[in-house]
Amino acid sequence: MKRTRLLLFFILPFFGVVLVFMVLSSLDRRYNRLRIEELAGEQLRATAEILSVNISHLLGENFSAEEIFDLYAGEENIYYIALLDENKEILAWLSQFEGYLPLSLESDIGKDAWILESPAGRIYNVFVSLRDIGGREYFLYLGYSLNYLEAVVRHSRNSFWVILGLILITGLCVFGGFYQLQKKYLDKEKEAEEQKKQKERFREISAFTSGVAHEIKNPLNSLSLLFELLRKQAPGELTEDIMLGKKEVQKIAGIIDQFSDSLKPINLQRERFQLEEAAGEAWEALLRNRVEKSVRLKMDVKEAVEMFADRRLMVQVFSNLLQNALEATGEGEIRMTAESRKRMVFIEVRDYGSGISNRDAPRIFDPFFSAKKQGMGIGLYLTKKIIEAHGGEISFSSRPGRGTCFRITIPGE
Amino acid sequence: MRIDTRLLLIALLFVSVLPISGQNRQDFYNIDAELKVSGGIEEIFMESRYAGSAPFLIVTVKDNQTGRRYVIEIGPAWFFEYDVHKGENITVVGSLRQPRGELPLLIARKVTLRGETRIMRDKYGFPAWRGGRGRGRGWRRGRRG
Repeated sequence: MKRTRLLLFFILPFFGVVLVFMVLSSLDRRYNRLRIEELAGEQLRATAEILSVNISHLLGENFSAEEIFDLYAGEENIYYIALLDENKEILAWLSQFEGYLPLSLESDIGKDAWILESPAGRIYNVFVSLRDIGGREYFLYLGYSLNYLEAVVRHSRNSFWVILGLILITGLCVFGGFYQLQKKYLDKEKEAEEQKKQKERFREISAFTSGVAHEIKNPLNSLSLLFELLRKQAPGELTEDIMLGKKEVQKIAGIIDQFSDSLKPINLQRERFQLEEAAGEAWEALLRNRVEKSVRLKMDVKEAVEMFADRRLMVQVFSNLLQNALEATGEGEIRMTAESRKRMVFIEVRDYGSGISNRDAPRIFDPFFSAKKQGMGIGLYLTKKIIEAHGGEISFSSRPGRGTCFRITIPGE
Repeated sequence: MRIDTRLLLIALLFVSVLPISGQNRQDFYNIDAELKVSGGIEEIFMESRYAGSAPFLIVTVKDNQTGRRYVIEIGPAWFFEYDVHKGENITVVGSLRQPRGELPLLIARKVTLRGETRIMRDKYGFPAWRGGRGRGRGWRRGRRG
């Protein structure tokens, strides 16, 4: 799934869910608010009724309006209260705020309670009539605080924001995770595709090269036989030249064999052997073909390291690495260390030569890539192939002008 | 223009003991009786208008149009914050109370002095100095106005 599709497939539905949550929550809060207001209204009307009865009774007992209100002073939820006579003239009033009694007799005042917005919060207002024992009519005006309702609504709103925040954070974390996974998956997929393409290309090259090698080797064998026949029949002074010719032909055949070997799948013939011996064998073989021997190999193997691997191939690995080190080193020493730990064998081949340039470093294990003028680009490719066939790994570090170190980790059993 | 704090304290000491005839009645802001008065300030007083509240700034003003004199309850001096002087022109929108045998009282909602307007109450008479959400609540008694 592509990134844009991921956005469309996950992010949009997520925000859709968030939107639905917001709408439903808003409707729910609105419903709750209306319901609570309704209940508060009923409660206020009931309170007004009770007050009316009490006030009627107290008026009948000749209490003054001020004396009656003294009884209600201090009531937290009543913001203001006023008693009016039959002409709607205010007889007495109480308010928690200086001069604040928002009664408009010019507007329609019915039996229904109404809500007034004020800086002190929402105030429920009720205006009811009452009669004293003598039948005289009075009116009671009451303003009741809805702050407790506001607190409930505020709590609900706060809860909404907390839940929304949690949903968003969780969603972002989940989708962040999805996105990372998807990114990794896409990167892996891309890498796999690249590898697949490379393999296909390499297979084509291999098939072509094998065919060419086969076609070349037959005439080379004939040539070699021909040189042998010539040597037997030719005069003695030509023997040396003929042998040189035969040797060159055999050299070409050897190169072709190397090519062919590098393209064949590796078939391991495991056996137990001492690493030091195999490395020494590789080093001796290298030295036999060199005229100058100003470079020495320093082996640093703490204890005898036993390997269980294909000895012939491992000799080839050591030979390749030591040959590279030898070619990179004018004079001095090459160090080879090895040790066995936790059923693994760790090998290092270090030289202090010219090193590998940063440009060449990413490609040194590629087949047919060589930074050397006379190299064929097979040695390190084959080395890596052999190590990986044994279930091991090879890596290197290099600083141009300071030398190179190859590290091999390979199972010891 | 801010009132000098020291002057205000001295003024408070004096005016709080002055008996201001006809200005001790506590009235509510009647939203059905709004009136606009504009004229010169004749007298300036401070009076404790509501139990438990700071002294209020009171002025008497002669209306330029009708020639009637009004007692105007401006609001707590600390909230009004303007220095007022006799003879200055002031425009007040407020609620008219008509005490018997006394000068009519105007409870100020909006005061304009020297071109600056100060809102003292909202349109329902809620005092602006009380802030919101029940800040500084406490019972204030009123009587028939």
